[in-house]
Amino acid sequence: MSHDAHHAPVASKLELAPERSDLGLYRPDRTRGLLDWLTTVDHKKIGVLYGAFAMLYFLIGGLEALAIRTQLARPDQTFVTARMYNQLFTMHGTTMIFLGVMPLSAAFFNFLVPLQIGARDVAFPRLNAFSLWAFVFGAFVLNASWLFEFGHLAGWFDGFAWHQALTYTDFAPANGWFSYAPLSGTFGQANAALQAPRFTGVGTDFWIIGIQILGVASLAASFNFICTIINMRAKGMTMMRLPVFTWMTLVTSFLIILAFPAITVALIELMFDRQFGANFFNPSAGGQPVLWQHLFWIFGHPEVYILVLPAMGIVSEILPTFSGKALFGYPIIVFSGAVIGFLGFAVWSHHMFTTGLGPVPTAAFALLTMAIAVPTGVKIFNWLGTIWGGRIRFTPPMVLALGFIWMFMCGGFSGVMHSAAPADSQQQDSYFVIAHFHYVLLGGVLLGLMAGLYFWFPKIFGRMPNATVAYVASGLVILGFNLAFGPMHYLGLAGQPRRTHTYHAGNGWEDWNFVATVGAFILGIGVFMAFANLVYTAFKGPKCSSDPWDGRTLEWSLPSPVPEYNFAQSPVVSARDAFTEHKHGTKRIAYEADGGEAGVHMPSQSWMPMLAAGGFLFIGFGMPMMAMGIPHAGWIVVSGVAVLFAGIWFWALEGPGGYMLKTPAVSPTPAGTPAASTSAH
Amino acid sequence: MSQDAAHHAPTSTGIDHKKLIMWLFLASDCMFFGTLISTHLLYRKLYPTGFTDAEGHQQFVQKLFNIELTSFSTFILLMSSFLMALAVSAMHKGQLKSFRRNVVGVIFFGLIFLGCQVYEFTHFYHQGLTIQNSVLGSTFYVLTGTHGTHVAIGILWLVMLYFYSFTGKLGGHVGALDVEVAGLYWHFVDIVWIIIFTAVYLVEYLGPSGIWGNGLPVLAK
Repeated sequence: MSHDAHHAPVASKLELAPERSDLGLYRPDRTRGLLDWLTTVDHKKIGVLYGAFAMLYFLIGGLEALAIRTQLARPDQTFVTARMYNQLFTMHGTTMIFLGVMPLSAAFFNFLVPLQIGARDVAFPRLNAFSLWAFVFGAFVLNASWLFEFGHLAGWFDGFAWHQALTYTDFAPANGWFSYAPLSGTFGQANAALQAPRFTGVGTDFWIIGIQILGVASLAASFNFICTIINMRAKGMTMMRLPVFTWMTLVTSFLIILAFPAITVALIELMFDRQFGANFFNPSAGGQPVLWQHLFWIFGHPEVYILVLPAMGIVSEILPTFSGKALFGYPIIVFSGAVIGFLGFAVWSHHMFTTGLGPVPTAAFALLTMAIAVPTGVKIFNWLGTIWGGRIRFTPPMVLALGFIWMFMCGGFSGVMHSAAPADSQQQDSYFVIAHFHYVLLGGVLLGLMAGLYFWFPKIFGRMPNATVAYVASGLVILGFNLAFGPMHYLGLAGQPRRTHTYHAGNGWEDWNFVATVGAFILGIGVFMAFANLVYTAFKGPKCSSDPWDGRTLEWSLPSPVPEYNFAQSPVVSARDAFTEHKHGTKRIAYEADGGEAGVHMPSQSWMPMLAAGGFLFIGFGMPMMAMGIPHAGWIVVSGVAVLFAGIWFWALEGPGGYMLKTPAVSPTPAGTPAASTSAH
Repeated sequence: MSQDAAHHAPTSTGIDHKKLIMWLFLASDCMFFGTLISTHLLYRKLYPTGFTDAEGHQQFVQKLFNIELTSFSTFILLMSSFLMALAVSAMHKGQLKSFRRNVVGVIFFGLIFLGCQVYEFTHFYHQGLTIQNSVLGSTFYVLTGTHGTHVAIGILWLVMLYFYSFTGKLGGHVGALDVEVAGLYWHFVDIVWIIIFTAVYLVEYLGPSGIWGNGLPVLAK
């Protein structure tokens, strides 16, 4: 239908003639350098950008954590004020979950899913770019609250009437990552300006709109990935031949599209309370703060599995590769992942055992929570079955993946302890909970994601990270992590409360708090070393072969770095672990007769996704500024909505475009000859 | 391969990407409206008497609601779905003129529905129900207002499709698919309204004193 898709095939997009879209604007297809990265619709580049931003926010969240641990190193310290401490732990949790782990998972989704299913891109390349930029701008809005906080501390706002009228001046979010009402909400009667008194400063408004924008990004990306996985599999790639990482991406995406609407509505209700004087959670007007807890955890518990399932998928790829065996019990692993996804929606109230739900709901949620340990345990036994009797090769990703199993199991055991409601009543809001979820999210998820980074980095950049540095970093991470969070089990059972900026001497908490702080710094050094090693590798690392690990799935059959069209000719697979079968077995990968001189269809690049997402930047700054009482700030929100709609409108009208790119003829690896192994040691 | 290339290469399932992603969006939107409707019903169960008006009198929602008007606007919205089905069918047959006629009808009926909602909101506001003075006001306005926003976005979408049809670019398989996807959205928004109409309006009239047992005989209205 569109005339512009019928250019003569070119060998490089830089050879294209300048071309106007249906709007009459030039398409940014022929760009290179920065403009190319800003307008890209290539899932691999989008994945790299997601990963780069996620690593940046991991470091910011890590600095916040180190500030917290410095404050708690000794009793009665005054390194930060209580108010600053609240902002630090709130932003630490929010940053690590929404700006660290989720985008890093999204980086893997983006880079790997099309390669693993034998596709040339995702189903909606421009929507994918929109997800990226919505994430980038949402993350910026959340962290811009720090800029306002520093401006406030430096006294820049002192002369303004709106600043003098503020009751609370915490500009960064200070209500915990769960933002419980009524602390995050309002009380009493709304005034003529439709504003009711509040318990917290405008940081909460930054948090509300920031999470809302990040939610849009996650939702759009998830629609795209489900569509891609269901609809764009190569010939022969049946669902039960999908790599486990792709399966876990599918389950995670379904969790996101079904769980995020609950937090979206909860945020809308909280926003109406704070900005328009509504009464959803206002106790003085009959609002029920416990409703916030329900809505938040209906999202919040599936969110835990949104964080952990991708890491489980990564580990399920790494263990078979370095054990030289197929994944033990593939169908059981896949179905366990799906069962975890289903049960994840039925256990939210175990976060609320102490709110007084009554004996029947408490018993039901306790039982369901214990039940969810079963599919998780099944996975662990299957991973052990995978390495059992294998020819294990120790590499940095393998070491990190084994660390994942060990640490995640520790987190799982304390999780089962929480599922017993009477025990949980003792542990609620103590450091025991902190220890539990850091073993799951850091010992589990972060180790899994780091293993994935070290595993796929040679594929992404065609360069091999230094193994010695990687081993040292992994050792520091695992050592520092256990030093930091192991003692917190004891501290929690000894009564130290969460979210409290200091403690007095004489409770018996001093020594282990000091140990935890030392561990946190060792952990910080380890993570920094691991990331620095990767960044160095991306630019200067030694080149490596396209299949350095003797990989099992389709992405390893491609050159490194992967060309922009991914597959010169579309693959046709006839087995699970298609590339292993191709190299060592009998079932070769066949190729369709597409590509070559006729070229493959490539989507056109576009400014519109970024323009549309740019509207969120205005909305994200306008809403908190309205809450600050800055005059005419509402117009910033209105202009943001206008930019968003204009971006979507131009996006629709510019037409999808596209061009044909020539690809070289395929020269498949002959069966029975393993690819040259140049692993790092 | 991108969405425009969907007709070059068949998808794994045979379902177009655009149609599949719209179904996924609607699945997500089900949870969205489910959460809003739950919020409203939970608070209705908790506070069956309704709200206090500006004079300090307890008011019952049946006194507030004008069920005849809401039934009329519900009927209009249902009929707009009928016209939308005709518009999709016309587009599949390539009858552009018939598509335009029907889509103008959908837009017109959608605007009538929105007009009724604007009238209703204004009327309720003058009766004393505001977003600030009761939990009922908060849940009612945010729930029905969110639905109204969905209708307004649908109207905007259909207006654009209507004008786009004059450029000659709306046609063939892709054009029919675009209209069908818009139709899916429109039908979904209608179905949600049927649920809201039942859960928010009709159940208040069930039994001798409303389903929440708020003591006001319906016939005494």
